[in-house]
Amino acid sequence: MNPLVQPDPGLFIWTILTFLVLVGLLARFAWRPLMEALDRRQATIARSLEDAQRAQRELERLQRESTQMMANARAEAETIVSRSRSDAEALREELKQKARAEAAAIVKNAERQIQLETSRAVQQIRQEAVDLSVAIASKILRRQVSKEDNEGLIEETLKQVEARRHV
Amino acid sequence: MQIEQVQEHAGEAAAEGFNAGAVIIEHVANSPIDHPLIHLPTIAGIDLSVTKHVFMLWVVAALVFAAVTIAVRRYLRQDRLVPSGFMNALEAVVEFIRDNVVRPSVGDTWAPTWMPLVMTFFVFILTANAIGLIPVFEVLGLLDHWVLHAGEESFFARLLHGGSTATSNFNVTAALAVVTFFAIIVAGSKAHGAVQHWKNLVPHGVSPFLAVALIPIEILGMLVRPFALTMRLAANMTGGHIAILAILSFVFIFAEMAGSYVGIGVGAAFSVPLAVAITALEIIVVLVQAYVFTLLTAVFIGMAIHAHH
Repeated sequence: MNPLVQPDPGLFIWTILTFLVLVGLLARFAWRPLMEALDRRQATIARSLEDAQRAQRELERLQRESTQMMANARAEAETIVSRSRSDAEALREELKQKARAEAAAIVKNAERQIQLETSRAVQQIRQEAVDLSVAIASKILRRQVSKEDNEGLIEETLKQVEARRHV
Repeated sequence: MQIEQVQEHAGEAAAEGFNAGAVIIEHVANSPIDHPLIHLPTIAGIDLSVTKHVFMLWVVAALVFAAVTIAVRRYLRQDRLVPSGFMNALEAVVEFIRDNVVRPSVGDTWAPTWMPLVMTFFVFILTANAIGLIPVFEVLGLLDHWVLHAGEESFFARLLHGGSTATSNFNVTAALAVVTFFAIIVAGSKAHGAVQHWKNLVPHGVSPFLAVALIPIEILGMLVRPFALTMRLAANMTGGHIAILAILSFVFIFAEMAGSYVGIGVGAAFSVPLAVAITALEIIVVLVQAYVFTLLTAVFIGMAIHAHH
């Protein structure tokens, strides 16, 4: 028989045995651990991608938030500045007002003081005039005086008044 | 590719003339069972002696087991699963078989169950096919012829006889196909129960008369599938080798007819370039046949699991 088509049951059985033993060994030591590892790695990759996506979303959210915060802060700062500016303006106005009022009060006070002094001085002059008249009258009554005497008397009286004024 | 040993044989055969047919058969067929590598007892009428092809099966199995297991173990020992070197290729193959062969055929549920068998089919057949393309024994034969001069009865000398492609022997491919045959039955029984699997042979809803007629056809179909697997692989693996050897034989035929120089001229101008081309083609055939056997096994297992009833 041609050796190419020679049936060989021994080889047939050896093939089945060899192959099945190889299947068993490879399944136990290579294929199953490898399949599990590949599945695990697939899961890891899927999870990593998911994590990355989540991180990306989180980052975007934070960025949006920080932009919002910055805008808020800027607006607030502007409000504060403008408010303090207007406050300062108000304060200055108030101070000016107060100073003006104070000045007015001082002037008024001085005026009243002057008025008071003036009226007192007038009062005093009036009193003096009365006193002087009384003195002149009494002197006239005491003696008849000549023209020269009269002039001398007036002179004397004026001197007296002058002197009293200087007392 | 096997030019060295062809030359050696041509030298030996020079006295009685070059017999191309005998040389080719010697380089493709198994070593004779009555001159095995290792004598083993006959059990139940079956001679279990280790012939060249049995030896090659063991070499292939050992090689595959060592290469795959070492690569996978080294890969799994890492903290982070980053493949490198040979593992890259292995992982690509495993994922290709899983995602393009097993899952589409048997479905995601049963894929983990049948992955080890289908993967082993692929790497085993591929390695057995590929080893046949490497002229290891021809080089060793040349070494023996010029340097070693091992005795005709020594283990080494007996190792040189016979082809080195175990998958070109239909006994080997038939055994592999029988594994597929039983895998189909086991797959159907696991998915549907032992009884339902056999009922699935006949499409559901067919009238009883037609069912009776269908039973022998279905049983025939069941047997034809592994037979086709057997013949396809063995014939493809044998055919390429015979073609290469036949083309290289021209060298010696012409040398005998018209002298050594004409033979060498024919070899340089015609035989070697063509043999190189066919060897390149063989590399594709080696891959394709391993893939076809694997794919069909997965498809048949899937058909048993997804039987329409």
